[in-house]
Amino acid sequence: MSAVALRLLVVEDDDHIRTALRWALEDEGYDVAEATGAEVALEMVAVRPPDLMVVDLMLGEMDGFACIREVRRSHDLPIIVVSARNDTHDVVAALEAGADDYVTKPFEVKEITARLRALRRRARTAAPETEPPTDEVLLDADPEAPLVLREARGTVHRGEEQLPLTLTEFRLLCELAASAGRVLSRQVLLERVWGHDFFGDERLVDVHVRRLRTKVEKDPGEPRIVVTVRGLGYRLDRQ
Amino acid sequence: MPGGAGLSRVGRSGLGARGLRARVVLAFGVGAFLVSVVLVTTTFLLARSYLLDSRERSSTRQAYVDANLLRARLSTAGTKVGDAIADLVPGSGDVVVRSAGTWYSSSLDVGHDDVPEALQSVVDGGDAGTVRTRSRGEPKLVVGVPVPQAGLAFYEVAPLSELETVLRTLGAVLAAGAATATAAGIVLGIRASRLVVQPLEQVAGAAARIAGGDLATRLPATDDPDLVTIVGSFNSMVDALEQRIERDARFVGDVSHELRSPLTTLVTSVEVMRARRGELSERAQEALDLVVVELARFRQTLDDLLELARADAGAPIADPVPVPLALVVEHLLRRTGRDQVALHADRDVEVLGDKVRLERAMANLLDNADRHAGGVAEVVVERRGERAMVFVDDAGPGVPPDQRERVFERFARGPRAARRSLPGAGLGLAIVAETAALHGGAAWCTDSPRGGARFVLSLPVAR
Repeated sequence: MSAVALRLLVVEDDDHIRTALRWALEDEGYDVAEATGAEVALEMVAVRPPDLMVVDLMLGEMDGFACIREVRRSHDLPIIVVSARNDTHDVVAALEAGADDYVTKPFEVKEITARLRALRRRARTAAPETEPPTDEVLLDADPEAPLVLREARGTVHRGEEQLPLTLTEFRLLCELAASAGRVLSRQVLLERVWGHDFFGDERLVDVHVRRLRTKVEKDPGEPRIVVTVRGLGYRLDRQ
Repeated sequence: MPGGAGLSRVGRSGLGARGLRARVVLAFGVGAFLVSVVLVTTTFLLARSYLLDSRERSSTRQAYVDANLLRARLSTAGTKVGDAIADLVPGSGDVVVRSAGTWYSSSLDVGHDDVPEALQSVVDGGDAGTVRTRSRGEPKLVVGVPVPQAGLAFYEVAPLSELETVLRTLGAVLAAGAATATAAGIVLGIRASRLVVQPLEQVAGAAARIAGGDLATRLPATDDPDLVTIVGSFNSMVDALEQRIERDARFVGDVSHELRSPLTTLVTSVEVMRARRGELSERAQEALDLVVVELARFRQTLDDLLELARADAGAPIADPVPVPLALVVEHLLRRTGRDQVALHADRDVEVLGDKVRLERAMANLLDNADRHAGGVAEVVVERRGERAMVFVDDAGPGVPPDQRERVFERFARGPRAARRSLPGAGLGLAIVAETAALHGGAAWCTDSPRGGARFVLSLPVAR
């Protein structure tokens, strides 16, 4: 853990779970804030965005999906979803709403902290001050609107416009770009980007690739930069 | 068609083994055959009697004419009967006359033999009469007319072979007609059976899709009053089924949520306590250790129950992916600290399915060996034809043959486990069996060549 504790916002309507989770996460060294519902959480994020969020899916009036979508409008911070349901539908919907990872109740706190560490690890890689802003990778040489990845700065530009990638999407793009032209299996991407072991959920990769494409591809329906290699994984092709 | 209904009843009792289509075709064929036989027979009989009647009438008229002519000739004095007959040119046959006990005939082809005695007695009684007879292999019509003025009995013998030919031709034509009608009936039957079976095939196709998991399948609406009921009933049945599955799934989801939430608080709180274990008294530490173990057991049982509930709901695997079994076992052994277990795995063996559930099934097999049989001795993953096989051999005493099926039942526990309080509610192998079935495979127990029990998981390989 860094000297300054990371600020973590727990959004959970069950008082007991929230309290116990705060204690456990504080034991792990996080500076934990609590929100009992999505509306409260959004207000808190607007006032002072945390470094990380842990969001329960079943909340009151406004559910976790809506909360995540709302946060994602203006923030790229890592979000982990906790859900009492582990059916495919909910998990995929949460990831599509913008969550970076998920854990199913009942979880052990070390599962959450391991995920949080993995998500922060890549976030640190993208810290601008660690490396000089020289490395530019041209992903799409379109003269009108070139796609440029600046890994050290943590930015991706399409022409003049900076693309609003989340940290996970950015890290995924960096991993793919680092092995441009070669196929990376879902397994490898899960390990490198999410820090999961062999039994991780490969849908994480699929949903994030889908979201990444909507931002970097000119026609996400017919991706040319991040292509699917059937049965093997994904490959980044420089254009 | 009432005949058809009756026949189909016959078909059910007598020809129960035949399919619906065959029965419809048979009903149409037999119906058409019977109707045409009745029509043809009636037509033939009517035509035959009409033709014969008119022939008899015309022959009788002719006989009267000829008899009068003969009488007129004979009235000329001195004319002999024999001569008069010779001069007579009968219209449609030969003439036989009996005059004063003597028989005369106009031709050598006929004689008094051709006149049946029954007719002779009618004519002798003073009445005219006709008789159909057969002589010298030919059908004949014999008309008898008494000529009392001349003391004669006049008989005219006309051949009927011509009429018989006509009738034979007519019969042949009618029989051909009947055969054609029967054939047409069969053709109609085939078409009708197709029409009848088509909706059934639609229903069967829809039912197969629903069984395959596509609960959105419905039969298209129809205007056909005969099909409206079946289509309506079928669709409402599927609606009910869908609702029920949804309700069950919701129930499992609700139970899951209601139990997982407090369990989350418990697990997390216990972790907070464990972090402060040193602050507790010795007895409190022991109590905490018990809570930790029991909580783990509770979690495991809840997970198992939910997994079985999910299997009972019957939902197919959401999105099957190729799963390399050898890698699953390898990682599992490493993760659970069983690195020393001998593994002989063909890394190319892949099955199509749910990785998490397959991993769980494997983990349950390994746990089972640890719990009941002193640990895993060897794990083998290999391909045999179109099957991916996983063998988990243990170091225990083996499972008696009469127990080998029972161990896969829910809450089944070995006798050793029943004596000792071991973790695990006895759902592990039931989940293995369910997982195998879900993937189109099977799980069973047999003897290991090294003496213990061998648990086998057989799954279809990915193509």
